[in-house]
Amino acid sequence: MSENVRIVIALVRRALNEIARVPGAAIPGVLAPTIFMIGLSAVFGRAAHLSFYHATSFRTFIVPVGFLQGASFTGAATGVNLARDIEQGWFDRLLLSPTPRITLLAGLVASAAVRALMPASFLLAVAVLWGVHWPGLLALLLAAVLVMGLAAVMAFWGVTVALRARTQQAAPLMQIAGFIAVLFTTAYAPRQGLTGWLSTVSRINPVTHVLEGVRQGFTETLSWGQTWPALVSLAGLLVLFGALAVRSMLRTGVSA
Amino acid sequence: MGDAGRVPRDPRRAVAGSLYTLLRTVDVAVEAQGLEREFKGAIKAVAGIDLAVDAGEVYGFLGPNGAGKTTTVRMLVTLLRPTGGRARVAGFDVARQPAQVRRRIGVALQEAALDLLMTGRELIELQATLHGIPKRAVRERGAELIERVGLSDAQDRRVGTYSGGMRRRLDLAMALIHEPAVLFLDEPTTGLDPASRLTLWEEVRRLKHEGTTVFLTTQYLEEADQLADRVGIIDSGKLVVEGTPSALKAQVGSPHLDVTLTSSDGAAAARQALGAFGQLRPPDAGCHVSVAVREGSSAIAPVVRALDEAGLEIASLELIEPTLDDVFLAKTGHHLEGEDAAEQGERDPYGEEAPLVQASADGHAPR
Repeated sequence: MSENVRIVIALVRRALNEIARVPGAAIPGVLAPTIFMIGLSAVFGRAAHLSFYHATSFRTFIVPVGFLQGASFTGAATGVNLARDIEQGWFDRLLLSPTPRITLLAGLVASAAVRALMPASFLLAVAVLWGVHWPGLLALLLAAVLVMGLAAVMAFWGVTVALRARTQQAAPLMQIAGFIAVLFTTAYAPRQGLTGWLSTVSRINPVTHVLEGVRQGFTETLSWGQTWPALVSLAGLLVLFGALAVRSMLRTGVSA
Repeated sequence: MGDAGRVPRDPRRAVAGSLYTLLRTVDVAVEAQGLEREFKGAIKAVAGIDLAVDAGEVYGFLGPNGAGKTTTVRMLVTLLRPTGGRARVAGFDVARQPAQVRRRIGVALQEAALDLLMTGRELIELQATLHGIPKRAVRERGAELIERVGLSDAQDRRVGTYSGGMRRRLDLAMALIHEPAVLFLDEPTTGLDPASRLTLWEEVRRLKHEGTTVFLTTQYLEEADQLADRVGIIDSGKLVVEGTPSALKAQVGSPHLDVTLTSSDGAAAARQALGAFGQLRPPDAGCHVSVAVREGSSAIAPVVRALDEAGLEIASLELIEPTLDDVFLAKTGHHLEGEDAAEQGERDPYGEEAPLVQASADGHAPR
């Protein structure tokens, strides 16, 4: 195993160790998407009777939104945790090792991607028990890829902000980006049901494609026509936010 | 442009020059020339420092809070980019070859930066992984170091349960995991109890004995005096004086004996008797007599004998030697101890921008 892969695994293990040793701290992030699903289904449940909802139920329609919310929260938490590590001096220890900056970044982002599966798994378990349509293994695999990818995007954003602000007080800035990105999509109504500026924004928002890529397995069958825009949008977001995070990492301390 | 004015270079001299440079690189563990760091707002935390630390030496970098010690160390360990001058550590340029520098240095910064949720053993092993130590050697090396710093019994406890002294020792063990050639210790004993301080001093002495170069920043005079082969004193971002502790102290005066007699009646006789040992110094009033004694403590017995022979009764006798604080006072016009200004470098640890908002006092992140 290469040295860099060992380091990435060690950093992911450290992040998971935090959850294992302080489970209480992870509970809100894990529960929030499920609570959203239950609450929104209760309030807007009958909206699914409208013609443009092609879902068997509103809760089936809304589950993928919970997946992306969980990914977004987890990614942002990576930035907040990095800010804490900067404040407490732990990050200096990482910077003082001969590990390439890119490997350190990969460790941080990989931990976010892995942790994002926790709220998603919990939500899926509750949703299926509550009668949400089982999407099939292939659709779940695609959903896992997209959820982990979006968590990585948000982790890149969180890392960029943390390295700039170097304080946990910048947490709202890390969290709000993901919240807005998921909100201004077809999260709560299909594209046909959106009007005005929200329709326009959702059309140009790349996260809409990611959401619909996850949703297709729940509301209809998988199709390549829905899958490739999701993957391309995600790749674009990863490149854009990854570049910002890499730039910030390379500007931290002295880089070769 | 032709070569008309150029003196042909003697190849033997060129080889000798290269050899000299190579040997110099090997012998000098830390070298700074005109090292500067300016922060936004034209705050010059380090204003052109020149220093050279020989391999195997313990170099005490002494100065009050806010003098620029931490900023200098952060530049030398590649955490902060210098804005002027240059520095080489273990033969590599800190700005151009940071990865090579990091492979050869161990660093224990001012606050022991430890993950309180991890155990001592987990932290040591993570540090070993970060330094690319092969998997099979990680446990062995980790166990060896944990034993060395006396944490074997606590190695499977979370670091959050460790005392301040234990955390410092673990921090030191982590800094040593890859057997660095140069060890940077930034105020390693600040906030420690006397027993923990002595334990750490012993470890520094052991490291020196093993040939490790130690760059030790401290605001404690005694620490520099006890541990350092040479001391550099920094004030307001500038190195004001450098030398061995004894040479520096000798610069500001010789030791002197303060004698207090039981009665002021014998003061004149005492002054006469002590005048043979060296120059008499103030205070010379009443029953106090003071004399400079170049020989230090070895002058005590002859002085006592001389006073006894003169029939004088001594109430107390004290040998007073110059301290590094006297050196600091002589060079800067103010005392080293008791200063409490904020370290400028700590405002902006990476030195690029000021933080957007102030640091949180809360140590835990919301998730």
